[in-house]
Amino acid sequence: MEKLGVGIGWRPEIDLTVEQLPGVDFVEVVAENLHVSHLPESVLLLRERGVPVLPHAVSLSLGGAEPVDAQRVAHLAALAEALDAPLVSDHVCFVRAGGLDSGHLMPLPRTRDALDVLVANVKAARQDLPVPLALENVAALLEWPDGELTEGQFLAELVDRTDCHLLIDVANLYANARNLGTDVSRFLDEIPLERLAYVHVAGGEEHQGVYHDTHAHAVIPEVLDVLAQLRARVDPPGVLLERDDDYPADAELAGELAAIRAVLG
Amino acid sequence: MTQPQRDRLGAAQAELLRALLADGEVPAGFDEERVRIEKRALLNKRRGIVEMLRPDVAAELGERFRPLFDAYARAHPKEVGTRFREDAARFAEWAVARGESTAPKKRWWRRAT
Repeated sequence: MEKLGVGIGWRPEIDLTVEQLPGVDFVEVVAENLHVSHLPESVLLLRERGVPVLPHAVSLSLGGAEPVDAQRVAHLAALAEALDAPLVSDHVCFVRAGGLDSGHLMPLPRTRDALDVLVANVKAARQDLPVPLALENVAALLEWPDGELTEGQFLAELVDRTDCHLLIDVANLYANARNLGTDVSRFLDEIPLERLAYVHVAGGEEHQGVYHDTHAHAVIPEVLDVLAQLRARVDPPGVLLERDDDYPADAELAGELAAIRAVLG
Repeated sequence: MTQPQRDRLGAAQAELLRALLADGEVPAGFDEERVRIEKRALLNKRRGIVEMLRPDVAAELGERFRPLFDAYARAHPKEVGTRFREDAARFAEWAVARGESTAPKKRWWRRAT
């Protein structure tokens, strides 16, 4: 995979911060929040500087039972072309079912049925995308019954059958380890690390014994430790900090990027 | 080719979302406590987005915002195709219809055309 470096999620609320922070090698934008014909000035400025801008989608619902929505894929494709992006991404999840919209990235049952549907949807989406697609592991608060595969096996088979890349979120992995007992070491052993496109790091907080991946709090040392465990196995092409709310001072975000760099060595 | 899998998966996913968003029964095999935690997390997220989009409504309702929004949300799970701005606007109308909030004053200025 192309070397990306260390990056941060571009958000309209911190556009000037992202432009001015030192050492931002690449950024990610939430695909659904941008219009191809009215790209924010700040995003265009970053592109002019040669900073890669990666569209990150949250609504394809690739693990949903319905076929993928061609319009959503077309938007992601158009955005990738407008930004000259090296790749795009979405999640291993479902968002909608039975006419209801969860408004969130819901975990999939780790069954053969779910994998077959996900694989078919990913293949369909990829046909209409001009660049590679990376898929991200999500944070789950609950576990489906009757899982037939571990999360790592599920992702490995997904990559094997679709040729997609992986976007590994170490905060989500930590959340699943903390809340559901996912074995971090086994997960990292089972996924094809050579297909790693980049890594997400984010903050969260523990509330009544449950870790919530809020993207609104500081990155906790335990999450950086999961990053270190990943780094011990592979030099990731990129690592990106996600912050979506309760934005801290610029110096604090710079400190979090520095902490990520320190782990990468 | 994947239709049988899609049918089974779709039924299971819809059942879970009904439990999480519309006070449906917890599907067999799920940990009830985990479902409760997820339900609360999804409600908190939806409420937070509406609060961000309509700070005027949240401010007017004050401490009543949270219980009122939660009652609205349980009765009106967010449907596919509903945008968050519409969700926020519908909650505002619901609160007015229930006499909990006053209708927003008409804007006295006009948008430039």
